[in-house]
This record gives sequence, structure tokens and C-alpha cells, in this order.
Amino acid sequence: QLVSALHSLTRHVVYRGLTRAEDILSLFPENFHQNLKNLLTKIILENLSSWRNEAQASQISLPRLVDMDWRVDIKTSSDSISRMAVPTCLLQLKIQEDVALCGNSPVVSALTVELSKETLDTMLEGLGRIRDQLSAVANK
Amino acid sequence: QFSALTEVLFRFLTEPREVERFLTQLSDFATMNKISLGPLKSIVKSILLVPNGALKRNLSSEQVRADFIALGLSEEKASYFAEQWKVHSPTLTRLAVGQTLMINQLVDMEWKFGVTAGSSELEKVGSIFLQLKLVIKKGGQMENVYIELTLPQFYSFLHEMERVKTSLESFS
Repeated sequence: QLVSALHSLTRHVVYRGLTRAEDILSLFPENFHQNLKNLLTKIILENLSSWRNEAQASQISLPRLVDMDWRVDIKTSSDSISRMAVPTCLLQLKIQEDVALCGNSPVVSALTVELSKETLDTMLEGLGRIRDQLSAVANK
Repeated sequence: QFSALTEVLFRFLTEPREVERFLTQLSDFATMNKISLGPLKSIVKSILLVPNGALKRNLSSEQVRADFIALGLSEEKASYFAEQWKVHSPTLTRLAVGQTLMINQLVDMEWKFGVTAGSSELEKVGSIFLQLKLVIKKGGQMENVYIELTLPQFYSFLHEMERVKTSLESFS
């Protein structure tokens, strides 16, 4: 019962985003032990930001990008043409499935994608537009 | 007569998807010149072998001409064909390169970004997220991959992609 009560209290504090000692103190009932109240508040305040970060990190989300690697190859020959020099890019994305679903054993999958130069140029154009839109939003 | 046939052939080679049009033009040619379609089709099939083989082995128009002469075509016709070959070979080469194997080719990318307003754990969040949808060609089918990135991840992704572009450009 004690653990469950503590749990509810901390969840409530994190949920509401209470950051001031007074707000937390006001949650305790009137005749609560004074020193214990202060001690608990102090501990909660100390852990608050790491709990908040953890809650954000374990939010439900689409699969998240965890890492990426790339390599550039030159294709010199194929079954349709025996001599050529076509550069191409291989991009490996490490993707982690929804954290909330995986719990303690996150599933990370690697997806390798090939891009031609044209595709890369189009992608960069798109990424540039995202960047412009982001800075427009940030400047508002 | 030969030049009309050559024209039909090359039009098909440069647009290999227009199969119906090619077949219609062939049957028109057959009727116009009073040849039956069956033998015409087999002749055309053998003729088409030459440019396809030439493409695979990157032959010059000289070599194409020589090949045709060796196969028994008259010099005039062989030269005409070789000329046409020279004219069309950049397009044909580009088509052949385009058919080269690509693993998990990225075909399209869509995105949206927004702000996470709240969650079941945190009443007010206010963080920006970016969602990308990548359309990938796996074998014959398209597959959609959805990923989410944080802002710092996005900027480093953009930075890396710019490095890839520089690298690709230095090899072209």
C-alpha cells in the first residue's frame, strides 16, 4: 500500500510537471509528518528531471531512428551492361521499434536502403525544405 | 523500307514498355509491304538480338556494323543501322543502367513534423518530432517504413546526407 501510494504521488508530480517545492508540499494531507514531508519532497525534486526525461523517452511513438551509417559504391558491371561507372549510395538505418511495446528488451532492426544519385538529390531537397519549415516555426 | 522497319525497332528499344504500339506498328508494316506477320516477327526477333548484345558488351557503332555484315546484311543497310545505333545508344545505355539491380531502392519519402502536446505520463510536453515515411521497393513490391526522429537526429541526418552527396559527386 505504501509503495503504491508513493508511486501515485510521484506519477502525479511528474504528470503535472510540478517543479516547486510548495506545490509538492501542498499535495500532502494536513497532519502529515513534517520532516518526512520535507524529505520526500526533496527526494522527488532531485529525481524529477530524470523521471521526466525517462517518461519522454519511453513515450509511445513510431519506430525511432537510433543510428545510421552509409557507404558509397561504384557499380562497374551488371547483367544488362558490361561496363559502367555508376555511383550509388547504401544507407543503413538502425530502427528501434516502439519503446513502450518492447519494455526492457528493445528490438532494433537494421534497414539497408539503396539510393541513386537522383534519389539522393531529391531527398536532400526534401530535407532542406524540412529544415526551412522548422526554422520558420522556430522563428515565429 | 528497311529504314521504316529500323525506325520501328529503335522506337521500341528506346521505349521498351510500349509493347502494344510496337506490335501494332509491326503489323502495319507487314500489311503495307505485303509480308506476312509471322516470318516478320521472327526476323525482327533475330534483329533485336544484335542491339541487345551490343549493349551488353558496350560495342561501338563500327562493331555493330561489322556484326550485321557478318550476319549477311548488305553494307548499306548495316551502315544505316549502325548510324541509328550511334544516335540512340546514349538513351539505350541509360535504360540498361536503370535496369541494374538495386537492393531496397528508396522510391519516395514523405514527412510531417509537429509538436507532442501531452502524453499519459506527462501532461504538458511541447517537444518537436519529425516523422518520415520511406517508400522502399523490395523485390517487386513497395514497402512503407515509418520512422520518427528527434530534432538533433534530423540535423545530423541532413549533415550526413550532404556528405554522401559530396562523395557521390566526386565519383561522377
